[in-house]
Amino acid sequence: MIKAKGVTKFLDGTKVLDDVNIQVEDGSVYGLLGPNGAGKTTLLQCLSGVLEPEQGYILYDGEPVYENPPVKEKISFMPDELYCSWQENIRDLKELYQALYPSFSEKRFRSMGEIFAFSEKKRIRSFSKGQKRQLAFWLKLSAMPQYLLLDEPLDGLDPVMRRQISSILMDDVARRGMSIVISSHNLRELEDLCDHVGILNGRSLVLEKSLEELQGNLVKLQVVFPEGASLGSGLDILHISRIGRVYTIIFRGTAEEAQKKLSPFHPIVMDCLPLNLEEIFIYELEEKGYAVKELF
Amino acid sequence: MFSLDYRDSKPIYEQIKDRFRTLIISGVIEEGERMPSVRSLASSLSVNPNTIQRAYRELEQEGYLLSIPGKGSIATHSKEADQHRKEELFREIRKNIRELRNLSVTEDELLQLLKEDETVHD
Repeated sequence: MIKAKGVTKFLDGTKVLDDVNIQVEDGSVYGLLGPNGAGKTTLLQCLSGVLEPEQGYILYDGEPVYENPPVKEKISFMPDELYCSWQENIRDLKELYQALYPSFSEKRFRSMGEIFAFSEKKRIRSFSKGQKRQLAFWLKLSAMPQYLLLDEPLDGLDPVMRRQISSILMDDVARRGMSIVISSHNLRELEDLCDHVGILNGRSLVLEKSLEELQGNLVKLQVVFPEGASLGSGLDILHISRIGRVYTIIFRGTAEEAQKKLSPFHPIVMDCLPLNLEEIFIYELEEKGYAVKELF
Repeated sequence: MFSLDYRDSKPIYEQIKDRFRTLIISGVIEEGERMPSVRSLASSLSVNPNTIQRAYRELEQEGYLLSIPGKGSIATHSKEADQHRKEELFREIRKNIRELRNLSVTEDELLQLLKEDETVHD
């Protein structure tokens, strides 16, 4: 289990994270969402033990991660921007990973090698952005980590490779109980992969819930009211928009609760639609004052 | 077995539920047949195992699955489940009928639709 408590981090004198608490259970996939500049990358760097928070602590099964090699051996971190000495070839890098991770699996390395079909002697300098990403997944997943931290990992991968990597990730979660913390802006993709979601906004965590709770927490209704009906106030509506006579209303609560609230207005048509993660993200942040502004 | 529709805005667990329910009701998955394991489905669909577990759990509540400890899940086909599904589909039809009436579709036209469907299946 990963537990971060009260994590506060300054970078160049600016507070980047403010009292962030997150908890990731074993075998869980935790999606880290948030607008640009919300602190996702910094949080992942703290979780990986690259950065030390000024306040608060980060524990893996009760052990601190910062400057603690036995804990770090269990963690693979894939940063947003990959770095390695591009002079090297794949074999050199593999040796480095074998030295760093006692759990490195030769068998996994070979079976994943068939997917990528890189020559081990090829110089990394000649790789494209997407190929470097593939190589990073190859090495990091061959290390058979217990915890995998991914910062926008699927960027730059082609659709087939995305599915391929996601499939290996989900297999590791189901089979070995690996935990993943993953940040991404591709919410459609995250919805497949995650079971828990945390939203960072303006340095702090504004929401942390299971996907199941999130989906049961908001409901979208498409409603047509009789001529001349007015909704009035006191309905606790999160978002309302209107095209012609059709209202789209977002409520907090379950579908039954929402329908009960609207039935006194005798709607002619009332459809209940589930929300996807992208809509949840937009409406939850809209309530916190982060919304699409009309510029023109 | 099936793939997910990435343009469908329905949540994934709903899509998985819908597909399996249809496969079970139509008899493609026979009663008593073993369902794919959560693990194999997670990696073949690239979907979180907990999400698949949730779909299975809800299908079990609806009466289309039976989980047997240590053996996984098997498909079932209870009368209650069919009854429940029937009611759900009737509700949807009613909604559509209401909309069709607003479009001035007559009763005869609706009956015609039923007859056409019969001939397709005969």
